[in-house]
Amino acid sequence: MKIGVTRFPGTNCDHDIWSFVEARGHQPRWLWHQDRFNPREIDAVLVPGGFSYGDYLRCGALAAKSPVMNDVRALAAAGKPVLGICNGFQILCESGLLPGVLVRNKSRRFIDEWAELQVEQPNPHFGRGHQTGARLRLPIAHGEGCFLTTAEEMKRLRGEGQIWLKYVNNPNGSLEDIAGVTNDKRNVAGLMPHPERALYDWMGGLDGGDFL
Amino acid sequence: MTATFPNDEIRAKAQHYRLNAAEYELITKLLGHPPQGIEWALFSALWSEHCSYKSSKVHLRKFSYRNASVLESEGENAGVVDLGQGERIAFKMESHNHPSFIEPYQGAATGVGGILRDIFTMGARPIGLADFLCFGSPRADRMKSLVAGVVSGISGYGNCVGVPTVTGQTEFDAGYDQNILVNAMAVGLFREKDPMALSKAKGPGNWVVYVGAKTGKDGVHGASMASESFDESSDAKKPNVQIGDPFYEKLLIEACLEILEKNLVVAMQDMGAAGLTSSSFEMSSKGGVGMRMDLSEVPLRDASLTPEEILLSESQERMLLVCEPARFNEIQAVMSRWGLEAKKIGEIQAERRVTLLWRNEVLCDIDPDLLVENAPKHERPYQPWSSPRRQADPTPAVLKNTPLGVVFQQLVKDHRLGSKEWIYRQYDQRVGLRTARDARQSVAFLRLPDSGRGLAMAVGCRPSLMRMDARIGAFDAVFYPALQMALKGARALAVTDCLNFGNPEKPEIMTEFVTSVEAIAEAARLMDAPVISGNVSFYNETLGRGIPPTPATGLVGLRESVSRIPWDEFTEAGQVVYCLSSPLVRTFHRTAEVLGAEPAFSGDFSAEKAAMFVRSCRELASKDFFAGSKAVGAGGLAFTLARMTEQGHGFEAGEALSAMTTAELLEERLYEALVAVPAEKTADFEKAAGDFSNFLRCVKMGRTGGDKLDFGGGRAFSVKQLHGWREGAWTQAFGEM
Repeated sequence: MKIGVTRFPGTNCDHDIWSFVEARGHQPRWLWHQDRFNPREIDAVLVPGGFSYGDYLRCGALAAKSPVMNDVRALAAAGKPVLGICNGFQILCESGLLPGVLVRNKSRRFIDEWAELQVEQPNPHFGRGHQTGARLRLPIAHGEGCFLTTAEEMKRLRGEGQIWLKYVNNPNGSLEDIAGVTNDKRNVAGLMPHPERALYDWMGGLDGGDFL
Repeated sequence: MTATFPNDEIRAKAQHYRLNAAEYELITKLLGHPPQGIEWALFSALWSEHCSYKSSKVHLRKFSYRNASVLESEGENAGVVDLGQGERIAFKMESHNHPSFIEPYQGAATGVGGILRDIFTMGARPIGLADFLCFGSPRADRMKSLVAGVVSGISGYGNCVGVPTVTGQTEFDAGYDQNILVNAMAVGLFREKDPMALSKAKGPGNWVVYVGAKTGKDGVHGASMASESFDESSDAKKPNVQIGDPFYEKLLIEACLEILEKNLVVAMQDMGAAGLTSSSFEMSSKGGVGMRMDLSEVPLRDASLTPEEILLSESQERMLLVCEPARFNEIQAVMSRWGLEAKKIGEIQAERRVTLLWRNEVLCDIDPDLLVENAPKHERPYQPWSSPRRQADPTPAVLKNTPLGVVFQQLVKDHRLGSKEWIYRQYDQRVGLRTARDARQSVAFLRLPDSGRGLAMAVGCRPSLMRMDARIGAFDAVFYPALQMALKGARALAVTDCLNFGNPEKPEIMTEFVTSVEAIAEAARLMDAPVISGNVSFYNETLGRGIPPTPATGLVGLRESVSRIPWDEFTEAGQVVYCLSSPLVRTFHRTAEVLGAEPAFSGDFSAEKAAMFVRSCRELASKDFFAGSKAVGAGGLAFTLARMTEQGHGFEAGEALSAMTTAELLEERLYEALVAVPAEKTADFEKAAGDFSNFLRCVKMGRTGGDKLDFGGGRAFSVKQLHGWREGAWTQAFGEM
């Protein structure tokens, strides 16, 4: 697959995602924030983590308005897969491609740790080997990973099976322990944990490899 | 003959610029006239202790030992080590103590920003950060907010720029109540084709280009502030503290590495302490050329800045570079792609003069060597070291004929020995995909992407040992982290340091300083790990009271791979635990302090024996015998064993350990290490250890297993309870922060 990797000013997991894509046997291509691309030439898009635009205004808010996101939206509308990780998840929420918002952790501090996760609803594009109820271990590293949404939308997410991953021990105060969600068509997904940081034994875990 | 000022007006002026009468006389002699106009500010900044190292320079020469892996980087922003196989690293450690005490968040954040710029200005991509922090007692005035502010400053900056903070050390002692220490270390990687950039200005007619954030009033006189003791008016120094923007720094990193990779730059230096002044004068002096610079061309955040403020501003995220005129457009294109500005502010001139202009008027025209090379070098008085705390028996009375239970509990529950997880949890430790061992282990390992080898990082200096004996403590600042690395199978390659001391004008402080420098230099030579970069921070003193001498070190090391690195903890039941030792000195330092006794020691520290012990441990570790390993540190064998059970696997003592008294279990002997060997490897291990019997002793201590830490003789503790106590120590001391 040809996988586009978005780069905003302040994105800092861009090289990590690039090597993740290569390690899984796909061809990465940079998608620069000011440039447009042809959605027909790209099979899927990954939106890496970091601090796009220094988290100014609200994390992910400025990136969501940048030119490249118009084409990401078009690609998603065509049913192609889009995955946002950490700040990428925040950007997809701000872009309207995913439900909910991510706000400051309940502790008001940044949290770096290995988190245990449970698969609620396996995603057909990302984590294909996953079964409902499977347990995974992935690193988290975020200051604003507390997922919130309205009661009404929460009901819809539950009903439509859009809750993808949950924390076993909620680290950040997320509503219903949510760590990752998808859109209703399941082709757009976002999660706070970092699958690219769990690819080899020496990293401390292997559970990230299945996500791509 | 004592120097005097010609009159009160000049005395007042000199006081404002923090120059003394002897310096005033020397300046007048060098210039051929009394300082005038902007010259006052230039000498004030570049002759400050912070920029000139005037009290330390004569001693820093003692760090002259080099080996073949050190690359030519004398006088550069950071030291560079060749790792072979096309990989090189640049690394350095620096202090940001004074600003962090005044404004902890910004002080610590800009400390991280500054040390990162020292690395990427040379063309190396920053891949790892470490910090060495010393705080006062949790009950001291403002201390909780200082701790919280410093940690969130480091976290806020490091996480955002995308460089993982992978190791560090945090100390608490009332000696830092009025002067906390914030030292940051950064490591950068050059891959095979990355060029190494230097800061020597070259080529008359070349352009001097300003890159990065605009200049504001923040940090004006920061360098001279850091060269003074604190008094009651320290709050008034807030405007001297710089403000950082990690987002801007991230853009600057990417843009600078891109222009260096494209070979568009002749020379580059960041505007750190004393800002534009130090970068321009130092680049000129190093290159033996001159610079003609128009200060009215400098991009300003605030149009009301005076030329003097422009010269001395320490606004962050700014670089000064020299390029050929034909390359400027390409540089500008790269910068603007990253949303940054590049502006020509001057030219290189053949004659070695720095000519500063302000709206076409010449402000000064001066030989940069007068400021850089001719800064005073003081031979401050000091004494040879005598060891006042050496005793026939160092055992504190409270540990004689005492059962282990109560004192051990007291140690485990003390915040000084307690878990620092509250701190490390706030640092992104894995961004960059290189982290193989993080800050939760005694040595961090980063995987080098091309060779797959492991780059080890550790910081050193145990202030409680320094308070006991500066000579032993300074030796230990190198040997202890080197031992920690050796036990993981890594060889220490090179050292950086951050020498934090009180007022060098006091002979007792200078004695500690000189003793420390000499011990660190000797240890580095014996370990074949040269001291290749560093920083001195004097005047860590408030109202006449100085900090404990604290020569922090940062070591980098190398291991052949990142697979099967021994853990700090026991990872399985049924492993045999041995103690490797080389008895040099018996000490009670941390234990003594926690129990309210005076630190003391007996015996003679032999640096040669320490070095042989470290080497022998590495030889054994490299044979893959160890599943777990840990240097015995604070709290002796008992506390180190407690740390090793933190993954939940218990320990049962054998004969030798069961026979030990409370004092023997808690004694902090230099040096000892605990290693866990899988049962099937014990025969080979014992034979191999026998080959090193000239340099180390190897004694069986016990076996892993169960859910208790059992010292024998009815002295058993639930592993779960011990960890609960150690985890709870932080909240006990600091409450819910």
